[in-house]
Amino acid sequence: MLLRAVGLAKSYRGAGAEPIPVLRGVDLEVKAGEIAAIVGVSGSGKSTLLSVLGLLEPADGGEIWLDSERVSHLGRRAQARMRGARIGYVFQSFLLISRLTAWENVLLAARYVGRDRREAEQEALRLMERLDVLHRRGHYPAQLSGGEQQRVAFCRAVLNSPPLLLADEPAGNLDEDHARVILGEIRAQARERGTTVILVTHRAEAAAEADHVLRLQGGRLEPS
Amino acid sequence: MLRALWPRGYLFTVLGIAVGMAGLVSLGAMAERITRFIDGGDRFVLGQISVAGEGMGMGTGFTAGGLLPAAKIAEIAHVPGVAAVQAQVMLPLSTTTSHFLTLTQELILGIDLSVPMPNRHYRALPVRAGRFLRPDDRRAVVVGADFAASRGLAVGGTLPLGSLPFTVIGVLDKTLTAPDRFAIVSIEDARDLWLRRDPLLVQVFGSGAGGLGRRDLNSGAAVGWAPGVDPDTLARRIQAEVRGVNVTIPGELSRLLRTSTAFFSALLFGIGALGLVIGGLSLSNTVTAAVFERIRDFGIKRALGATDLQLLGEVLGEALRVSVGGCAGGVALALALGFSVDARVFREGQQLFLFSPRLLLFALGFALLLGTLAAGYATLRIARLSPAEAIRRGS
Ligand SMILES: Nc1ncnc2c1ncn2[C@@H]1O[C@H](COP(=O)(O)OP(=O)(O)OP(=O)(O)O)[C@@H](O)[C@H]1O
Ligand SMILES: [Mg+2]
Repeated sequence: MLLRAVGLAKSYRGAGAEPIPVLRGVDLEVKAGEIAAIVGVSGSGKSTLLSVLGLLEPADGGEIWLDSERVSHLGRRAQARMRGARIGYVFQSFLLISRLTAWENVLLAARYVGRDRREAEQEALRLMERLDVLHRRGHYPAQLSGGEQQRVAFCRAVLNSPPLLLADEPAGNLDEDHARVILGEIRAQARERGTTVILVTHRAEAAAEADHVLRLQGGRLEPS
Repeated sequence: MLRALWPRGYLFTVLGIAVGMAGLVSLGAMAERITRFIDGGDRFVLGQISVAGEGMGMGTGFTAGGLLPAAKIAEIAHVPGVAAVQAQVMLPLSTTTSHFLTLTQELILGIDLSVPMPNRHYRALPVRAGRFLRPDDRRAVVVGADFAASRGLAVGGTLPLGSLPFTVIGVLDKTLTAPDRFAIVSIEDARDLWLRRDPLLVQVFGSGAGGLGRRDLNSGAAVGWAPGVDPDTLARRIQAEVRGVNVTIPGELSRLLRTSTAFFSALLFGIGALGLVIGGLSLSNTVTAAVFERIRDFGIKRALGATDLQLLGEVLGEALRVSVGGCAGGVALALALGFSVDARVFREGQQLFLFSPRLLLFALGFALLLGTLAAGYATLRIARLSPAEAIRRGS
């Protein structure tokens, strides 16, 4: 799926009345099956950009297109559908639901998009097996290590094979081996399924996987 | 099945609601108890016309001191519209207690069993054990529920009245009003008791002075009316046509009773309002807090594609289960409390709580309605936030 962002702007209300501009006109184009890596210093706005691209919060200005649809200007309901069916997120802080087990967290992705439960369970089994968390399926997030939570969160993000995957430091908490597994999964998603991937990372080897490496600086994206 | 319905992670929410609902239900049960008492008295006085002899006594109806001679009873029976007249003797059980507060006082009621019960609302008193009196029963007594409970009486037992032994042949069901404290005997027995109590009467009736006989020894009569007759009009007609009697107008007595219980009605209203406020606040507060506590989860679910409607459905479903669970817990708590308190006061023949079906239904409806409203409100508040904002706020 083709992702195109034009002139995205976003600022947060600061402690005082002064707004803090984070994005000041971000332009971005990533084609189906491509991986774009975004790098930048801490606080440069990488998470904010992913959040805006993923329709988790509205931009102050600019447009977001998925293929030929201007998703940034859709209504609430249509945006909710977009999020559920087309976009997968791996959050920087995992965001698992603490009252649900690892297994239930992964399957939550299927609940709101009306996907066949049996089929989703099969897929969840395969994914959790590959990411080496199947033996932890009955555990609650608090009973999992940071790396395990991250892998469970990854399974949830890709359960529905979304055509757009937004991954915020998906390997941030992982040791070399598990990081390789996740990066391999991401590469496979892009190469085999044609998933469009935006990857925020500090890791050099992750950036090396990418088709483009872009740097977020001063509220804009530049080739790195 | 039950496990699936149990709202996981909501233990304290359910407990919080349960405590509030327990307050609501037990206050409501006390209010119901009082209402039933007042309504029962009202039904009783509206069911018959009470006539007493005009005399030296105070009060109205058959609690007055005057005698109602047999001739007067015959006269009343001839007034057009009168269907039945039942002679009665009503005596306070204890001669030392005052004549006031007759609704809560223990009374001996002697009734003429050859006449059917004239009270339209109490054609027959409900008998829980044994049987009611028959015309030829002597030295037999049927006791009210509280009367029996406070003395540990059962069918077959013996109850001394004015040093005469009476056999208990029946125990009434609880009516939650005056008859609960009655000991009902045949009018002949009641006349005996009356004569034993009052030596002066023995002289009068023994000597036959003034042409009075045993048959004239009545403290009053209950008058029933024919179908279609307006009782208040009939009461006025009796008063006008029969000399020397005191007639209570059912409608007026009912109004009088209402006025004298106005304090209780106000108290009742206060209790009910208090219960609603306490229960309502605790419930809506708890449910709203429980929803706001999940604000981060809402953000995550919206990120996973949940629409507002889907979230609202989930929240309402949980709120309903939590409210029903809390309500059930509250009712159980209130029942446990109520029954243990009532068990303590039972020996004095008291009952403080009445857990009526309509009260429990109301509590359930109240919990469901308020739980739904509170959850809906909280959800709408949260829905205004973007998913990212909700996640940030809840972290
Ligand atoms: N809700 C908010 N309100 C105010 N300021 C915010 C908010 N969210 C982010 N910011 C600010 O916006 C800037 C960008 O934050 P963001 O989380 O996007 O950075 P980042 O590049 O992802 O950093 P890191 O590498 O540490 O994750 C930061 O200066 C941050 O303080
Ligand atoms: Mg970040």
